[in-house]
Amino acid sequence: MSQSPLSQPPLSQPPTNEPAVSEPAMTEPAMTEPAMTEPVRGEPRADSPVPAPPTGRHAHRAARTGGPNSGRFAGLAGRAAVLTVGVFFALLPFVWMVRTAFGPSQSALALSSNPIPESISFDAFTRAFRDGHLGRALLTGIVVSLAILLLQLLTAIPAAYVFAWLPFRGRGVVFGLVLATLLVPSQVTAIPNYVTISALGLSNTRVGLVLPFMTSAASIFLLRQYMTTIPVSVLEAARMDGLGLVRTLRTIVVPLSMPAIATVSVFSFLLSFNEYLWPLLEARSPEIATPPLALATLVASPPSGLPDFAELSAGALIISLPTLVVFLIAQRRLTAGLTGTGAGG
Amino acid sequence: MTRRAGAGPRTGAGGWRIGALLFPALLGLTVFILGPALVSAFAAGTDKTLTGPSFHWVGTANLREAFGDPDFGRSVRNTLLYCVLTVIPAVVVGLALALAAQKVTRGSGALRLALFLPVSANLVAIAVVFAYMFDPSGHGLANTVIGWFGAGPRNWLGDEATSLPVVALVGGWRLTSFVFVVYLAGLTTIPASVYEAAEVDGIRGFARLRHVTLPLLAPTTIFLAVFTTILTLQTFETVAVLTHGGPFRSSATIVYYIYEVGFTGSFRIGYASAIALLLILGIVLIGVLGSVLGRRARARAARVESDGADAGVDGAAGAALVGLGVAGAAAPATEAAR
Repeated sequence: MSQSPLSQPPLSQPPTNEPAVSEPAMTEPAMTEPAMTEPVRGEPRADSPVPAPPTGRHAHRAARTGGPNSGRFAGLAGRAAVLTVGVFFALLPFVWMVRTAFGPSQSALALSSNPIPESISFDAFTRAFRDGHLGRALLTGIVVSLAILLLQLLTAIPAAYVFAWLPFRGRGVVFGLVLATLLVPSQVTAIPNYVTISALGLSNTRVGLVLPFMTSAASIFLLRQYMTTIPVSVLEAARMDGLGLVRTLRTIVVPLSMPAIATVSVFSFLLSFNEYLWPLLEARSPEIATPPLALATLVASPPSGLPDFAELSAGALIISLPTLVVFLIAQRRLTAGLTGTGAGG
Repeated sequence: MTRRAGAGPRTGAGGWRIGALLFPALLGLTVFILGPALVSAFAAGTDKTLTGPSFHWVGTANLREAFGDPDFGRSVRNTLLYCVLTVIPAVVVGLALALAAQKVTRGSGALRLALFLPVSANLVAIAVVFAYMFDPSGHGLANTVIGWFGAGPRNWLGDEATSLPVVALVGGWRLTSFVFVVYLAGLTTIPASVYEAAEVDGIRGFARLRHVTLPLLAPTTIFLAVFTTILTLQTFETVAVLTHGGPFRSSATIVYYIYEVGFTGSFRIGYASAIALLLILGIVLIGVLGSVLGRRARARAARVESDGADAGVDGAAGAALVGLGVAGAAAPATEAAR
């Protein structure tokens, strides 16, 4: 591809509903802002029974250390109760999974609901790996998910850039069609895709597991939303410097969109790794079973006839680990973004 | 691609370049999503089976069969009950958790992580653990707990009365975490100035929740209600692992029935497609209803918020994104964009 400046289509401000600059002082807030902040920063208000706290955060701290306002204290206690119960139930299945996996073998004949296992062993993990071929399944799952991720990035990033910055006639319609694919449930496409993959001779192969997920409208949309926030001046400068489309994409757009690319990657991996229906249809031979499929097989046909819940829990823990690790690595930036501390870029 | 005077690319080369950038994505979406959706709509009018040689047009026979099929009717009723049992508790509890977690300063990372974990959980793995917790023997966790209150052990998953609720519990457990994530993101889009203004007006506690926070969250709430309904209409994994639709079809959902019809037994792809078509129609209807309600809620929220600049943006962008299970993704992207 040549890199003449002319080959680069002109940049356009994307027709987006994103605020150009969301500065508070644009229109009326100029009037309301002082009125809102001054009394808060200033001395206690007369009409208030309690001294007005300096800021929300300090107010909260005061309530936390047992301020005079009993209503606030009740609210705090209520909050703590809600959170305690919520965390308990959120974690209970995970705790139970770990507790069972490290405990002794548990068939329906010898079940125990003692929260502390009678003895600790890694035996269940060994058996789960052996009976469920989980090592092989994990490898398949990771390879397939990474291949899907790579394909999705390769297809979605250029498309997102076009939808963000390169207008052409009918772009709105095409973008609308891309978004429309989000409405189609995967179970509906599964049947024709099964036929397509069979016709391509890829049935029961790893490629067949990957191909239907080669692109994702969700990723395109998310990346496009993020790319619209790249300052137009940066892209204009790239054009002045004579960078062609591909080089602009590679050296400017991709590095600037890294936060969005990272987020898309995490969710793509989580979704692909946990996908159940498609591998269930496609992976007929156990050699290419993905982790959820391998575990489901172990559930359906336990080697000893009766399901051993220690072994199954160990298996569940094993196949949860890759996504858990990815999630733990990613959650800091995800939650940072959620709480707004990641803002300001 | 054609050029538009002034706005379009100045050279023909630019046009095909745009095409080249778009091509891989459009190819994938056309071959594996849009195309199949159309094929599926067509197959719904045929008696195609997986092994059958060709598509033989039977008109509306499949649809008529569906309306008279007691198994399909049962799956629809099961799915609707499942939706009610999961969506309403998930939205209520998820909102309560988000409101409670919002102001926590110390240990908020660990707290959020714990409440986010169910979203990342592998449904098959979690289904295994729930099957164990709801084991029919007297020593299963659920039976032990009801034993404290003097109740005898139940065969939770093997009983027509409890199989669907237990499956819904698994789905609802995960959905609640998802709702929490989205509400937490929604809460961060409410500017501090709005709360400060409420403080000045002496609006606090429940009054503030009712007159400020909830109206501002209404777009998020409507999005969540619509999206989680659409999501639960497609329930499959938990049913496939926990109950296989049983006992006596008491927990068979629509998608599980589609799977049974199209991929087991006589592999009736035509009939399965017809049922899938009905499901899509339902989903599109709910989606349209949701977007109408959402637009109204955003307009109202903009009026509540004095400087209603950003509420609608996050509603719209967040909605579509989160729509795909990329829940947390929406917020970092829009936040970092500021």
